[in-house]
Amino acid sequence: MLKINWFSPLPPARSGIAHFAMQVLPLLAKRREVALWTDQDQVSPEVQRIARVTRYTPDDPPWRKINDGAISIYHLGNQPDLHGGIWQVSVRQPGIVVLHDLCLHDFFFMLWVHYKKDRVSYLAALERWYGEEGRQAGQAFCAGGIGAESMAQRFPLTREAVQGALGVITHSRGALEGLGEAPGCPVAALDFPYAAAAESRYREWMAARSAEPRPPYRLVVFGYLSRNRRLGAVLEALAGFSAREQFRLEICGQLWDEANTRTQIERLGLSSLVKLRGFLPESLVEQKLSTADLAINLRYPSMGEASLSQLQFWDYGLPTLVTRTGWYASLPEDATAFVRPEHEVEDIQSHLRAFLADPGAFRAMGERGRQALENNDPEKYVDAMTQFAAMALRRSPLVPAMALAGRVGNDLSAWLHPAASAYLLDRASQEIVTIWPGKPRGYP
Amino acid sequence: MKVLVVTSGVPFIRGGAEILADNLCQALSAAGHAAELIFIPFKHYPPNRIPDHMLACRLLDLTETCGVRIDRVIGLKFPAYLIPHPNKVIWLLHQHRTAYELWDHPMAGDLIHHPDGPVVREAIRQADCELIPEAKAVYTLSENVSNRLRRFCGIAGEPLYNPPAHASQFYNSSAGGYFFFPSRVTGVKRQLLAIEALARCRERTLVRFAGEADSPRELAVCINAIRQLKVEDRVEWLGMVPEEQKRDLYANCLAVIFPPVDEDYGYITLEAMLSSKPVITCSDSGGPLEFVVDRKTGLVASPTPESLAQAMDALWVDRRCGAAMGEAGRARYEDLKISWKNVVEKLLC
Amino acid sequence: MPKNHGLRILIATVRVPFVHGGAEIHAEGLCRALRAAGHQAEIIAIPFKWYPPERILDQMLACRLLDLSETVGVAVDRLIGLKFPAYLIPHPRKVIWLLHQHRQAYDLWQHPLNDLHRYPNGDEVRAAIHRADCELIPQALHVFANSRNVAGRLQTFCGFDAAPLYHPPQDAARFYTLPAEDFLYFPSRINPLKRQDLVLAALAQTRLPVRIYFSGSTDEVAFERKCVALAQKKGCADRVQWWGPVSEEKKRDLYARSLGVLFPPIDEDYGYITLEAMLAKKPVITCTDSGGPLEFVIDHQTGIVADPTPEALAAAMDGLWEDRERVRQWGDAGRQRYSDLRIGWDHVVEKLLA
Repeated sequence: MLKINWFSPLPPARSGIAHFAMQVLPLLAKRREVALWTDQDQVSPEVQRIARVTRYTPDDPPWRKINDGAISIYHLGNQPDLHGGIWQVSVRQPGIVVLHDLCLHDFFFMLWVHYKKDRVSYLAALERWYGEEGRQAGQAFCAGGIGAESMAQRFPLTREAVQGALGVITHSRGALEGLGEAPGCPVAALDFPYAAAAESRYREWMAARSAEPRPPYRLVVFGYLSRNRRLGAVLEALAGFSAREQFRLEICGQLWDEANTRTQIERLGLSSLVKLRGFLPESLVEQKLSTADLAINLRYPSMGEASLSQLQFWDYGLPTLVTRTGWYASLPEDATAFVRPEHEVEDIQSHLRAFLADPGAFRAMGERGRQALENNDPEKYVDAMTQFAAMALRRSPLVPAMALAGRVGNDLSAWLHPAASAYLLDRASQEIVTIWPGKPRGYP
Repeated sequence: MKVLVVTSGVPFIRGGAEILADNLCQALSAAGHAAELIFIPFKHYPPNRIPDHMLACRLLDLTETCGVRIDRVIGLKFPAYLIPHPNKVIWLLHQHRTAYELWDHPMAGDLIHHPDGPVVREAIRQADCELIPEAKAVYTLSENVSNRLRRFCGIAGEPLYNPPAHASQFYNSSAGGYFFFPSRVTGVKRQLLAIEALARCRERTLVRFAGEADSPRELAVCINAIRQLKVEDRVEWLGMVPEEQKRDLYANCLAVIFPPVDEDYGYITLEAMLSSKPVITCSDSGGPLEFVVDRKTGLVASPTPESLAQAMDALWVDRRCGAAMGEAGRARYEDLKISWKNVVEKLLC
Repeated sequence: MPKNHGLRILIATVRVPFVHGGAEIHAEGLCRALRAAGHQAEIIAIPFKWYPPERILDQMLACRLLDLSETVGVAVDRLIGLKFPAYLIPHPRKVIWLLHQHRQAYDLWQHPLNDLHRYPNGDEVRAAIHRADCELIPQALHVFANSRNVAGRLQTFCGFDAAPLYHPPQDAARFYTLPAEDFLYFPSRINPLKRQDLVLAALAQTRLPVRIYFSGSTDEVAFERKCVALAQKKGCADRVQWWGPVSEEKKRDLYARSLGVLFPPIDEDYGYITLEAMLAKKPVITCTDSGGPLEFVIDHQTGIVADPTPEALAAAMDGLWEDRERVRQWGDAGRQRYSDLRIGWDHVVEKLLA
């Protein structure tokens, strides 16, 4: 039985990944023996009920115990206090890396420069993957001359996080290639696991909604609302829409710039149509989502990550406006209302018009979204994850094989005459491939 | 034939494998062949040094020497048995054990303590599976080794037994009043188990222990147990004894006690059989079980002090039974055709 | 630095399976001497096949991959590298005592008896050997050479110095002397580099009835036959005796009873024979292009250094044959020189472990 080491943020850590772990771990623990590893101070009792939790110090992991597991799964994201230790272990021992954020520039900057005061490693990493240009940009960034967003987009440093991994799991097809950060190892793009609410509950929600949608139609925006959530464009679109009185917009979530937003709402004369609800507790979220008619979930620019909130909207059968970019662009056409990034206002208004013309069509769109959630069945996710892990384990000799090839190359460069290097490098690599062909013969 | 025996090991250490390699060379020479030993030094730590030594072996060329073909290469140990040769035969003494059955052994496990351990272990296993079949034939030291090879690599290896040193010089004399326990003194040989059994015997059994301790600590563990259990008057602790004296001790004992844990082979069992003595061993002892037939040539006890004590008592009381078992053991040795002649024949055919 | 006592030392050399020659004897002598001095010593002999040429590159890499820095957690205090490519094995405390580099890539390049240059990739392998030697030999703590001759080649090809470090022949203490009898002794493997044929051509031209005993195994059957035929043809076969391979005792006996020793090889690395002759108190006849022997033989003091021609060698042989008193003096002088040169294993061990 393949025993798996699992490294991720765990409750009570305030992280969507901790929540994700609680969805996935019980199912994983049914199929495999799981050992949970943490460097957090506290871990909730509910976690201990799923699998044994062991603390480790990132500077000196207990390898003897870790090696009781066959393979490690490391969950990486952008917060260094939650993922720094995990990443540190992953560097020492290759395993499967699950990327919850595709762009990790901020992670490395904070980890190295901010916490460890180690500018050298940061700049070296930038140079390693992006050459002199990367190094210089890093220097400029440290001096405050370049914005964080720009750095993150141009130099995601994803490859730094996954170099040497046995395999990488993302939740967004083609995302790494799109970023230009494809690693040397196999990559599996899995549908983000989401346990849809039971059919019975869904039917309750549907019953609570009126049989037919009726004005004023309820628009919702949810989540941590930073600038890339395109709130400005939404307000502009609404303000400029002739039949705007047919809609009410509720903005639920923490605003990155509340004052500015309020000003804009005033200026656009939308005060009677738009309400700022702030961060909603769990109990009210259900109420809001089950009574909304249309969700607006725009993101631009996007680094390609999957959106948990989108899956949540579909759970409630909510039709959604999304920006045609990144992960969102891969969503099924018949379950999504797309907005082009360069024509936001125009497209938003076009969808609002279409909604008024045929609200039933949008409700149907929402239901198709609900059906699409079958792909996100956490059981499927866990199956795919364990299969991927088994495959990666079989490939694992490539790690020492590659390291050996590197050592050979290094040594030869110190003393081998160029006239002979083509032959000997080829001979050495041929022999390395003979020893570890990647597909071992008769391997049980 | 021109034959090269290739093995690897740690410089400055001369153990059973080295002795066996030398004996094989001598046996090949005695059979009229030109045989030499090739020894490849092997440092197996830190784990990433292992692939380096594997590649080094793959780069050697033993196909001929000064225009004369080398007819056969016999590989004994990892990674030397990876050296390529069109006419290679492997006589597997053992694979790289800490990548296999000793992976998580509390004393012997080493790869498991290192972050690189798992990938290197996988690298060793896959290389074994891939390259051992290059050999024309695969033999092993014992059924125990064959089983591991089959279990981990799906490769079939035929056990090929070899005789202990000076086999012809073992003899039988009168069965005296003691059990003989000859072996290196270390945890896996389980002298401790025998001492605990002694304390539980009904009869006033007596055990003579011979052999050098692997370390002062190992020795202390045994001596302390003897004192704790108050069996000083039932134990004779001989330490290291010369070969001749060892044979005398075999010849005059009532029976041999040899209950190691998962022994690969166990020359001691064969020495006992050559001396026409029954062997008391345990159900988890490995190698000895290939030779000891329970209640015919010895007794197979459970690995508990009580069970071992029962076996000891049984043979202490019934001397005739012990003698008969000893004779049966001697006959069994003959039947098994354990000889260097046989080994050479198999390895060169 | 640990005291020079009870060190753990590995000797890295190569072996050619089923060929047991001077290099093996040298390594074994060193091993014995180190153990006698109270150290733990073992020989690591890497099997070496030098053809086709690319095999050399493979084995150079194989040596680079070995790790002899420690065993079971205890440091190996010294690695003494003797032969190519074993002396390339990395070690933080390596001392190289160069018996010789891979001569086929150096002074024997394009020699008719060599084959490296006949292969299409001979050039690039030769270049690779040069480069590896030049880059890696200096990484050793100290570099010694078997003789000034070998040191000279290293200086020529790689531009750096190695100190000559002589060592005694096998069983040096067992050599002895007896009154000279009427024969010159040429103990050596029979092969063209040793030039038994030159000596036979010279024998045919001696004034005096010089007699020669040859002993030693044959490296090349064709060459031996050629020599025998030459002696016949030149009419001096009756003054020649072929002893073939002889036991060590017989060899020492022949040295002891000889009038003098003939040893005119071409560009010999070292030359145990010269030293054996000196130990037996016998003068040595050698040639100006003989290499190693020239570091020991002093012309007209401990022997004769002749031009490598039949005429010059014939004159040298006649010279010894007719003046027995001079032969005795030169023999004594040769023995004295041996002592003066401090050729002993103690000295070797001291230098290698300094």
